Order: sequence, then C-alpha cells, then structure tokens
Amino acid sequence: MTARLFVDAWDPAYGASLEGGNGADGPVTPSTAQIQPDVELPAAQWRPLDPAPGVTCPDVVLLVDGVRRIDAGLWTAEDDGSSYAGLAASYAAGVVRCDLRRGAAELAGARVERGLFTASPSAEDVVAGTIRYTLRRVSGTGEASKLPAAVQGPLTALEVEVSGAARDGADLLVVDGPLRNRRQLPRTIGYVKTQHSQYLPPALTQVVTSLTAGQRTPVFGLGTAWGGWSWYLRLPGRAGAPWAGIVRVECSPDLDVPEAVSLAQLSQAALPRFASSAYKDPRAPQNLVPIAGLERRLRGLLGDARLLHRALTAATSAGR
Amino acid sequence: MESPNILWKPVPSPAWLAALSYMWCNMIGVDDEVSGEPVGRVLGTADATPLQFWTAVTPGSYLQLDDVVVTRRELPDREPVTIAGVVTQVRARHEGAQFDSDVFAIADGTLPALVQEAAEITTTRVDPELYVPPAPGARVLRASGEARDAALHFDRMERRVPMGTGRDGVPVFLNADFLDGTRGAHVSISGISGVATKTSFATFLLYSVFRSGALGGDAVNAKALIFNVKGEDLLFLDHPNLKLDERTTAAYAHLGLPATAFPDVRVYAPPRPGDSSGAPDVNSRLTGVDSFYWTLEEFCADRLLPYVFADADDERQQYTMVVHSVTAHLARHALPADGGVSVDGVRLGSYGDLVDHVVEQLTDDATRMTWAGSAVNMGTVNAFARRLIGSKKDLARLIRGDLATRRPHAINTAESAQVTVVDLHNLPDRAQRFVVGVTLKTEFERKEKQGTAKPLLFVVLDELNKYAPREGSSPIKEVLLDIAERGRSLGVILIGAQQTASEVERRIVTNSAIRVVGRLDPAEASRPEYGFLPQVMRQRALLARPGTMFVNQPDIPVPLCVEFPFPAWATRHSEAGAPPSASLRSIVQGADPFAVVGGGGGSPDDDIPF
Repeated sequence: MTARLFVDAWDPAYGASLEGGNGADGPVTPSTAQIQPDVELPAAQWRPLDPAPGVTCPDVVLLVDGVRRIDAGLWTAEDDGSSYAGLAASYAAGVVRCDLRRGAAELAGARVERGLFTASPSAEDVVAGTIRYTLRRVSGTGEASKLPAAVQGPLTALEVEVSGAARDGADLLVVDGPLRNRRQLPRTIGYVKTQHSQYLPPALTQVVTSLTAGQRTPVFGLGTAWGGWSWYLRLPGRAGAPWAGIVRVECSPDLDVPEAVSLAQLSQAALPRFASSAYKDPRAPQNLVPIAGLERRLRGLLGDARLLHRALTAATSAGR
Repeated sequence: MESPNILWKPVPSPAWLAALSYMWCNMIGVDDEVSGEPVGRVLGTADATPLQFWTAVTPGSYLQLDDVVVTRRELPDREPVTIAGVVTQVRARHEGAQFDSDVFAIADGTLPALVQEAAEITTTRVDPELYVPPAPGARVLRASGEARDAALHFDRMERRVPMGTGRDGVPVFLNADFLDGTRGAHVSISGISGVATKTSFATFLLYSVFRSGALGGDAVNAKALIFNVKGEDLLFLDHPNLKLDERTTAAYAHLGLPATAFPDVRVYAPPRPGDSSGAPDVNSRLTGVDSFYWTLEEFCADRLLPYVFADADDERQQYTMVVHSVTAHLARHALPADGGVSVDGVRLGSYGDLVDHVVEQLTDDATRMTWAGSAVNMGTVNAFARRLIGSKKDLARLIRGDLATRRPHAINTAESAQVTVVDLHNLPDRAQRFVVGVTLKTEFERKEKQGTAKPLLFVVLDELNKYAPREGSSPIKEVLLDIAERGRSLGVILIGAQQTASEVERRIVTNSAIRVVGRLDPAEASRPEYGFLPQVMRQRALLARPGTMFVNQPDIPVPLCVEFPFPAWATRHSEAGAPPSASLRSIVQGADPFAVVGGGGGSPDDDIPF
C-alpha cells in the first residue's frame, strides 16, 4: 500500500508547518535535547488529553507579536576604501487585547522602531524625510547574510516592552514564538507554530499525531538551553496530514508542575478558539486570528515600503 | 480708511491690511481660526478634490447626512482658503478586516479591527474663490452659527424666507430673490401622491412668504390663488388646527413665524349641480364659501369656448378651425339677454341650449357657412359637434344663463382676499381644466394690463401634468407656458406640483428657479428631470418621510433637506377649530340679495333700483 498523501495547509511561500518534513513524517531534525516525559503522566501512560472539565477560556487574552521588514540594503564607503553591508529595517511589536466577554479585540499597544544595522564603525543615524533610522552597530564582520538575524534582537526586546506595558490583569498572555527571554512574564505561554525539531521519541510522537482537534499531549519538560515546560496541541482545522494543525506551547521552567499543567489546560481552552481558517490565512490554522489581524495592523504601521525606500535613496544620495 | 471697529494698537500696521483682514473675517463669518467642533480630518486614501472630498470621522464623533462642515487650506503667500460643504454620504467599515466573515471574529473579540466612519463632503462654498483641494489630514469642523450660514450662502441672502429646519434642527432659508421674480421665480414640486406632502409644502411656503416679513411691504398686497384639486383639504386654510400642539408652535417660533391659520382667505366652489339657486357645492365647510360660475354672456364675449376642448390648439386636429370660427361668431353675434344670451334672435338660457343651438346651426347647410366658414367638410363639423355635446354634462353647472348677472360670481384675486381658494375637487376632468384655464387666463391678462409686477400673485396648482402635459398643445397649456416664461416679470409666480416632473412640459420645469422633491417613485427618480439631485439624494428621496423635502435653489449647489412643521391651519374638517369671524360675513352674502327680489330668471326691471 502506498502512503497517503496530504497537501500542506500552509502557503508554500511560508514554508511548511514542519520544517524539513513533508507533512507525513513530522519534524525531521531529531533533537538532541533531553526531555522529561514523566511530568504530568508517566511516559507509558501517554495519551491524548481532552480539555479538562471546568476549565473555560479566560475572558481576557493578550496576544503579542512583532513584524519586521527590510526597507533597504545599504553599503557604506569607508575612508580606507573598504565597505560594509548595512540594512535599514522597520520593525514593530504590538499587543492585542481580546476581551471575549465584551466581544472586543483591540490594539492595546504598539510600537514601531527603525534601525540601521551595520558593522561599519563610522556609520551614523540615517534621516530619511521625517523618518530616522537609529544606528544599531552589529558586532563582528557584519556580512550581509547575517544582518537580517540581527533585527530579531531589538524586535524581541520591543515585544517584551509592549507586553509588559499592556499587562493589566489579563488572564493569559500568548507570545508568538518560543518564550526565550520572556519567561519572567507571569501567566505567559509561548506559542510555536513551526515545528523544527522532533523532541519526542517515536513512541510518544505517535501520541502527537493521534491527537484530534482540541486535544493535547501531557506536559513534558524540555532540556534545551532555554528549557521550560512544553506540550503539543492540535488546533481545529481541515483534517489532513498527521502534523497538520499541531502547535507546540511552552511555559516558563520557573513554574512548578501543577502551575504548568493548569496553564496547559487553559491554553487548551483558549487557543482553539483563535484558530484561523484555511481560505483566509495562508498559515491556517496555526496562525491565530488575532495574531494575523495584529500583523496586518503592525505592517500598516510600518509605513509604505516603496515610499521609505525612495526616502532612503533620496537621503543617502543627498549626503554625497 | 481706518475702520472705527479696529482698536488702536501700539504696533503700527498699514491701514489697508487691517481693513483687509477685517473684511475677510466678515466675509466668511469666522474668526482668524475656523471655529467649531472638530469632527474629523480630510482622508488621504481617497482623492480630495475642490468640489468633493472624504473626511474620516474622529472616534467618538459623528457626522450625519446634511451636516455642514468647514475646513481650511493654507496657501503660501496668500490668505487661507475656507472650504465649506455638506455631508452627502457617510459610511462605516471595519478596518483590518479582509473577508466579510471577519465581522464574526471581530464581534467575537478575536480579531482586532477598528470601526472607521467616513463622510463624503460636497463643497458648497469656497472662500476666497480659489479652487484648491483641502489637504489630507486637515481638520474638519462642524459648522455652526455664522459659519453654517456662510456655508449654505444664507449670509448672502438679503431676504430670507424660512422653509423649515435642516437635519440639524437649525432653520434653512430660501432666497426670496428667486421666488418673487427679482432674479428668478416659480417653484416646481414633485413627489408621489399621499406621502410627498406637496400641497402642504406649497401652502407652508406661501404662509412663510406672507408671514415671515421677507417680502417686506409687498407681502401685504401679495395675493395667492390656490386650486384645490383633491378632497376638501385646502378649504380650511383660515381655520385654526385643533391638533396644533406646543411642539409645533415652538417649531414655528424657531423659524420666526407665528403659528396661526391664514388670516384672510376666500373660498370659491362651483355651484351645486341641478340647483337653480347656484349654492356652492361643498360638504364640510359650511360658512364663508362663495360659488363661482360664468354667465353665457361672459362665455361668448370673453371667447372662452376653446377652453372647453383639451386639444383646441393642436394643429394636427382639423376641428380646431371650427372651434375658433364658432368662438368668433359667438363673440360677434351673441347679445346679452337677461342673464342668458340671444344669438340670431334665439334666446339661450343655459349652456345646454347654447350647445344645441350651435350644433343645429352647424348641421344646417344653410347656416353652416356663416358659423364655420366655407372650407369645412361635414366630418370636421361632426368631430366638433361630438366634442361640444360631450361637454354639456360637465360644464352646464359652470356656464349659466339662469342666475342674476349682477351677483358676484367671478374669481378675481385683485378684489378677493389675500388667499383665494378655488375648489375643483367635485368637478369632472374637463370642467377642472376649463376653470383652471379660464381663471389663469383672466388673471394673467389682468396682470398684463396692469403692467407692473407688484402686487405679486402666487398661483398654486397641483397635478400640473394634467394641465401642461409634455405632449400636445392646448389653450390651458399655453396659458401656463406664458406664466412660466413671462410671469416672472409680471409678478405671477407659479407654484406647480406634480407626481412626475418628467410628464410636465419641459419649459415649465426648466423655468422654475426653485425645485422641490418629496418622496419619489423609484423609476421616476432616475429620470433626467431630477439631475439636480446627487445620486445619494435620489436614493433618499425614495424613502423621504412626509414633511421632508429636498429643495434646490440656484444659490446653493447642493439641494437642502428640509423638514417643515405640521400645518398650523386645519387640513381637514375634523381638525378645524372655530371658523374665523370673517367667514361669517359671507353667510349674509350667501343669501343672494338679488335672488330675493328678482329670482333666477327675473327681468332686470325687478332689480332694486340702486
């Protein structure tokens, strides 16, 4: 019998929801990280868990996300005749406050920053029209290929800043992507859309692929650099590939096990509600509806890319 | 040219500059800064043009249709341009939503989105006249007080006739210059029957003209001639309305008008059919009604015969030649004979007798030549005779030979009260046309002889499409066309109403300076006759409520939406309060003094000798 085939729900331009896999295989890169499966249930008893009775979706959920855009690539001309690559990028982070009881999702805070990323020792801030690109000096040699990654640091810092500012008695804060250095925020979960690594041994992976919509795996401990408690959850969506609609959720390792389990139950009640539908979002259902809306708003705040590119061109040519 | 209004300042400034800025402030009616409540900013996502632009409404504020707003555009080396306009469309949408179904996610609280309202502004005034677009991002303010008056050009109107309140509850005015013939005249009111309240608006407009003081001394002498075509609606203009409440009184006071009935009204009604005494044929109004009719003598001498025929001037019709030669013959040969006429030695005492005699003479080979001329064949004569005989039933009660000649029976606005109401509603179609045609002709000829425009005569005529249809030609239509084209200089102002302006003679509609639209039929609203209404207003006209009219006047580039108050006079018998004492006067008149002595067909010798 030939293997059944499934078309990945994500738009090919975004890659697959499982990096390196074709959907049927699951995450291909086996992780070297140590995992502790016996946190909530002993590994032998692992099974898909239904939503815990009595746990309802919290009234107020905050979701944090950031977007970034490269406005222009630049080259510097140093006095000694050498040249460094530079990157003018705009990035923004924002918080959506979903008040489910009132039925209102609003932007609770958003910040836009622009930076000039380069390793050039002599570069200065670039002022393009009314816009200022603050110089962010990159250490090392600063090859052009490494510059985009440099934007992530300030963006994460911005995300931490806005989520801290918007935190007013919310029941749950969902951070897009792994928690990493945002673990100190209370009642916060990290939400990982794309599965790069296969953390679980094959026996337990079967539990993941056998999840039905709304079910989750038991909490397990993750021994990576950042560490923390984690669990897999399947979002409602078109039934398809074994890994379709699977997201990994994590919370801070500083929490004790019952706290982590209660957060897992809360996430199980809250997140399926936000799942997007395939025809509206190229990354459905993992890209949550509020996040998608937030990203659109943030992209709007970044300003028009062509306009900025032109302003940068004009500003740099004027200096010559 | 130092103006005394400018305070002396220690810093010397050129006098001309001070005078200029002073004038400018007065011109647009605002201070240095445009004043008013900020409601939004000019949009940048849609084109802003000097004549139309979109405004994003600030969250927490609102703009509704017909609101008046003002914005300002700074120009280098020039004074700023103030752009004022009226809201002609408003819309609200979710920003951030891509799909229609996103609204559920938004209402559910999962998708962040912003409700953004925007309003389309149609410019009404640019001051100074530099047609530049407003800058996107410019503040838009709700105009009130002087700024609103300036936006709607009320400040330039020397004489303003209040015609109701706008959607914002503030009075809106009509420029009297375009009503009384100074710069324009005539009003055309269109709308479907029943809900468009065309007649109510026409009477309210008259009331406002007479009572607002806008016409000054002319209002005292101005007259109105109203034809009542439906029900007995307009017979109670001089009766107070029992349903008048405090709110309506306040609405009148708001417009600067007293809430009373028309003070000086005279009502004419046709004689009762088959009644030899000539008592007026009315059911509900019992006092103060005079009957009107024409004597056979007047009918012949004044050449009224063509008005009997609906198409007597139509050149395609052969028989019109006969009409005119018979008319001429009657004018030449009919002699007054004791109320009736005597033609060729035969005394004719009624319209029926006259018709019979004329038909007899025409069918007789011996006399046909003298009546109809030589070149007329029998078929044509028969066509004429058939029509003439057909008119007997309808006109017998109006053209009389049996009533005293000296009894007052003519409609003459010059000698009548300020408002003359002619009741037609009991008359058949042909008789209505006859009365309207003859009355208008008489009035118009009287004004022509008089030669001056003052005093003004306002003529209110409903169902204009019946009297002046687009197709064909008739003596009545000729009279109306005359009024439309020359009435302005002669002081005859036509306030015409019709269900469908598209069916009325185009020249009458185009000659109307003021065009009013109430609720319209959807098919009618798309006709080119309503081209003055912007698209949105046409749609609104489909659901206009009674009491709401759209008024277009030459001064203002956008029609204004007007709500006029409930009539302060009775519009039907059940609403009528006590009749005014003046109407008792005609109870005495109602008993014909001549009838007592001479009776219906008495000899002139029996009259009281004074």
